[in-house]
Amino acid sequence: MKKLLVVLAALILAAPICAPAEENVATQPKEFVVYLDKNSRENHYIPSGWMGDYGDIKLNDQSMDNPHSGTTSLQFTYSAKKSQGQGWAGVYWQNPANNWGSKKGGFDLTGMTKLTFWARGAKGGEIIQKFMVGGIKGTYSDTASIEMGPVELTDTWKQYTVNLVGRDLSYISGGFGWVTTADLNPDGCVFYLDDIKFEADPAMKPEAKKAEGMPFYVYADRTSVKNHYIPSGWMGDYGDLKYDGASKEDPYLGDSCIKIIYNGKASQGARWAGIYWQNPANNWGTIDAGFDLSKANKLTFWARGEKGGERIEEFKVGGIMGEYSDSDTAGIGPVILTKDWKQYSIDLKGKDMSYIIGGFCWAANIDNNPEGATFYLDEIKYE
Amino acid sequence: MRLSTSNTLHQGRFSRQSRTVPFLGIILCILFLLGMASRPKPKVYIKKLRHSRYQLIVDRKPYIVKGVCYNPIPIGQNHEYDWWSSPDKPWIVDGKLMQEMGVNTIRIYQAGENPEAVKKVIRDMYELYGIRTILGHWLGFWEYPCPFYGDKIFQDKIKKEVLEMVELYKDEPGLLLWILGNENNYSCLGMVNKWSTPEIDNEPDPQKQKAMRARIYYSYVNGLVAQIHKIDPNHPVALGNGELIGLEFAREFAPDVDLVACIIYRGRTFGSLFRSLKATFDKPVLLSEFGADAYDAYLKKEDQNMQAFFLESQWRQIYENLADNKEGEGNCLGGTTFEWTDEWWKHDENNPESWKVHDTESNWSNGSYYFDIKADGNKNMNEEWFGIVALSEELENGLNKRIPRKAYYVIKEFWKNPSLDNKSKNKVKK
Repeated sequence: MKKLLVVLAALILAAPICAPAEENVATQPKEFVVYLDKNSRENHYIPSGWMGDYGDIKLNDQSMDNPHSGTTSLQFTYSAKKSQGQGWAGVYWQNPANNWGSKKGGFDLTGMTKLTFWARGAKGGEIIQKFMVGGIKGTYSDTASIEMGPVELTDTWKQYTVNLVGRDLSYISGGFGWVTTADLNPDGCVFYLDDIKFEADPAMKPEAKKAEGMPFYVYADRTSVKNHYIPSGWMGDYGDLKYDGASKEDPYLGDSCIKIIYNGKASQGARWAGIYWQNPANNWGTIDAGFDLSKANKLTFWARGEKGGERIEEFKVGGIMGEYSDSDTAGIGPVILTKDWKQYSIDLKGKDMSYIIGGFCWAANIDNNPEGATFYLDEIKYE
Repeated sequence: MRLSTSNTLHQGRFSRQSRTVPFLGIILCILFLLGMASRPKPKVYIKKLRHSRYQLIVDRKPYIVKGVCYNPIPIGQNHEYDWWSSPDKPWIVDGKLMQEMGVNTIRIYQAGENPEAVKKVIRDMYELYGIRTILGHWLGFWEYPCPFYGDKIFQDKIKKEVLEMVELYKDEPGLLLWILGNENNYSCLGMVNKWSTPEIDNEPDPQKQKAMRARIYYSYVNGLVAQIHKIDPNHPVALGNGELIGLEFAREFAPDVDLVACIIYRGRTFGSLFRSLKATFDKPVLLSEFGADAYDAYLKKEDQNMQAFFLESQWRQIYENLADNKEGEGNCLGGTTFEWTDEWWKHDENNPESWKVHDTESNWSNGSYYFDIKADGNKNMNEEWFGIVALSEELENGLNKRIPRKAYYVIKEFWKNPSLDNKSKNKVKK
């Protein structure tokens, strides 16, 4: 009995030391730090999840170049050289390091209402496509996925806030992350992050779902911070498609336009192909991330064919159906393109545009383009 | 004096008149009321309420269509099978099961060729089980090589068939309404069974071609509706339409249509269907074909829970948009779920051997049914598994044994106690 008591006492004493990676911070007040300074004992999570063109990223986690507070900040250098041929790159802060959801390591951050961080660009104008909290999927998936962006950095420190009110933060293994693209930063960029932390701020209110202001761009220019949606939903004979979101071939406006080559070889045997612009990338209605475009009366875009006569069966908006379906759909077509730029318009009057994951879409087929089609798009926007 | 006399006379005349006018008025009122009484309300009609809300009235009472699409093809047969004349009378067994579930309507896509057999089915369903019948007509949609809606000979042929149908069955007490076409509007877009005319062929702009086809098709349907109204004022006429596609043309060219019978597969919800319809073509809507299959194409096994989940959610939306639910759009009259029993011939319809097999392969994809969207090629829709009642190869009184799926019981329970998501919970009459 005595032995048992001794063992129990030892276990009780040892318990806090052996606390599992899954730590409940719900009872802890105020804040939960991701990064303060290089050697801060309060730091949690490791910036180990390098994604996309990871060869394009360099990290100096003890940059002493004008930190926001303390002695160091995180300096990221993104070269945009597309080392892995992806065109994008990013970093996740994980727990434990390199945990892509295969290990149990998430923190219980219940009670935290926001994540704040400070950021600045080396020159100003650097564009980070998005900052993330949670969102790691796997055997042990995060209970929430929150994104914010795009963000155009300034050359002075500025604080940013990710609203977490109402989110299930009971298991978060991806504490923080960022992603950007070569299109947004064609010459690469250098930026700094500091003082990243979760905070329990009782004054935070749930983020009201607000209708987006107009115009709302799908595509303005390759580097534009105004762009929304990702041309990720390749359909049908996707192997027949080439997409260049930074074509310099006679853009309608600005310095770039979209060039699409559809070779009509029926790589997948479908005899048709198309692309959906989605939010976020590859969201076929599985992620709750539609934009509220209720203020839009129409979607306009400019298009031209390389030769003229290319036939696009349909241009449309909305229409993605899944667990989270688009609230409506509208389209035009078939459209026979001209060699010169021409503006097209999809009428949205009377449509319910309150929740749109699929911001733009086109589809063409071989029957009407036996030799394929090369065409250009520009200035795709809701008005 | 003269004045006085005149006055008197005048007064007298006036006085006589003032007695005559009320008397005449009363007579006229009585005649008018008698006239009203002698012109009874149609047996089935749609009542328009305020704010574009609509209610189906049957025998002077509001009627929610709680229906199923009915095509009881036995295992081993295909769509050509004449079940109407079957000595085993499948509708007798099915009608009883339907009645127990709460079904009050069946939708039939097109009547069989033997009018007496068709009348027998309609009567049996109504007299034995109180179940009414919606009769439809394909409008030649499947005619080879395509439905030539711009061709006078084709038009007249279909018109003759439709009007014959109306003449034959309009006096059946169990008849609820007519549906013209199903997804025929897709042929105007060239998506299926594309047809044309010389004028359309001469139009270089494909968008204008679509508009020309839509104008021809919807105008033609409108003409049929007007004819039916003359022959049969007692039953509404619905325009069968795939989704809401093309209804902006129907607004212009088919104003005589009484309601839209919408064929729609949007998974858990109908989205903005009810609101969008108001904006494009302000008519009441019957969800005449919707549902979910009961086979998980990803896990490759039957999943009755999945089917029940979608169907309950769909019926909840239907109820939320009935006329007496203040929170909804109020333009929905009910629905007919696709479908009553599985049809084993559908996957490979040209191969009689496959009609004996319950195929699990899918021919098409629909992301709205997201549980099994990760199936190979995202093909997750299993045509042979849409029944809320499964068929067994075991025979009972000459018929494939009926085995109700979970959806049967879930909808039955929902109809008994419709619980809604919105604020009008429990306000809807059953």
